Amino acid sequence: MKGKVLSLLIIVFFGFSCRNSKSKTSEFVFPQSDSIPVSEVEKLSPEAIADISKNISSPVEIANLLQTLQVPFSQNYLAESIDANRQSTNFDKALKLGILGADLGYLNMYEKTGSSLDVLSSIRKIAEDIKVGQFFDFEAIKRLSKNKSNLDSLLFISVDSYNKIDNYLRSNDRGQLSALMIIGVWIEGQYLATQVVNVYPNKMLSDRIGEQKIILNDLLLLISPYCNRDAEFTSLCKDMQDIKDKYRDIRITYTQGDPVSVEKDGGLTIKQTETSVVTMSKEQLKGVIEITKNIRDRLILNN
Amino acid sequence: MKKTIITLTILFTFGFLSFGQVTDPLISNCAINAGANAKYLKDFRIQLGKAGAQNDLRFKANMSLWKNTKYRFTMCNAENSKGQLILAIKDDTNKLILSSFNKKTGKIFSYVDFECQKSGIYQISYDFTNGQQGSGVGVVSMIK
Repeated sequence: MKGKVLSLLIIVFFGFSCRNSKSKTSEFVFPQSDSIPVSEVEKLSPEAIADISKNISSPVEIANLLQTLQVPFSQNYLAESIDANRQSTNFDKALKLGILGADLGYLNMYEKTGSSLDVLSSIRKIAEDIKVGQFFDFEAIKRLSKNKSNLDSLLFISVDSYNKIDNYLRSNDRGQLSALMIIGVWIEGQYLATQVVNVYPNKMLSDRIGEQKIILNDLLLLISPYCNRDAEFTSLCKDMQDIKDKYRDIRITYTQGDPVSVEKDGGLTIKQTETSVVTMSKEQLKGVIEITKNIRDRLILNN
Repeated sequence: MKKTIITLTILFTFGFLSFGQVTDPLISNCAINAGANAKYLKDFRIQLGKAGAQNDLRFKANMSLWKNTKYRFTMCNAENSKGQLILAIKDDTNKLILSSFNKKTGKIFSYVDFECQKSGIYQISYDFTNGQQGSGVGVVSMIK
């Protein structure tokens, strides 16, 4: 009981203090502390970790935005250099599983389901290596990939498989692999978004990149318990901290408003009128693009 | 309707009956029936006993929602559920953004579309009507 109360207090202090502060300032800011003491993070309960990992974006959200913006598909964005047979450590495998998951979401969202078979094959190898292959129904995904009319089902099975792996790893004392997978998904999604905005400048997309500031602290919370585990984790923690530093002066402010509800055809639609506004200079965006590319390229070449 | 039946058949045949890792059919049915072009993001499996005196919805989770995205929150009930699954969403200032249950009229919506204009981490809460015992699933999808 005491442990739970302590965990809650830590979460409230480190996780949400930034958000509460904006009710006064109407601006999102990182918590005062630059880093979270490992001794504190280690006290986070499994429930708290599960809650944090659940609120991180799905692998298909960035891809969906790119498709909505009618950005053409490009094979060049994919992490094709990843060789599933050359991943030596569980660290590499879990991180690559996340990166490939984001690529699979991108391919599926653009209905490049034929091309997704290569990615799927790598995912299968890596997933089996870390004993989570049973959560991917590869044969079903293959079959659905060949029939474009089942895109919704394909997306469901693919995303559901990743959700199941995440749950399984966390509940089997392999939370470090779950954290790596989630960070892999996020970095690859961030890479897709930043590479696209570099070629097709778009306010909505650059705003989404800037808004990632909102979940960066949660990503750091997820990985913080493992930062001193070994050199690979220490390096990744530093990478994430470097990304966070690039976001420090990007501003997210809020305008006030009440939601409007409309009932139509038996359904209810809520339209939000308050908005978030990102203020990010070209230099700040450039900084985020560069650091994301550097880190992601290094991670996928680290075979 | 025909498409839904075909999709469900494919899912049951190829998707959920292999390798012993069966997806809860309540989740798969709820996700697939969320509507045309609804792209599945997450699900929340909710099983609650009868509540004592209560004011607040009991099942809570956080989820990041992004500006310029239209989300659909679909609620599905298991057959043995006594109450109906309801949803409320609050923002990070604890302001109520939406509820699938209209307290004034008693009307319960089986799904709610949310046009998000403020990126942030939201609190998603579920419970069953009148704090009754229940079993259900809440599916979150993106729609166009």
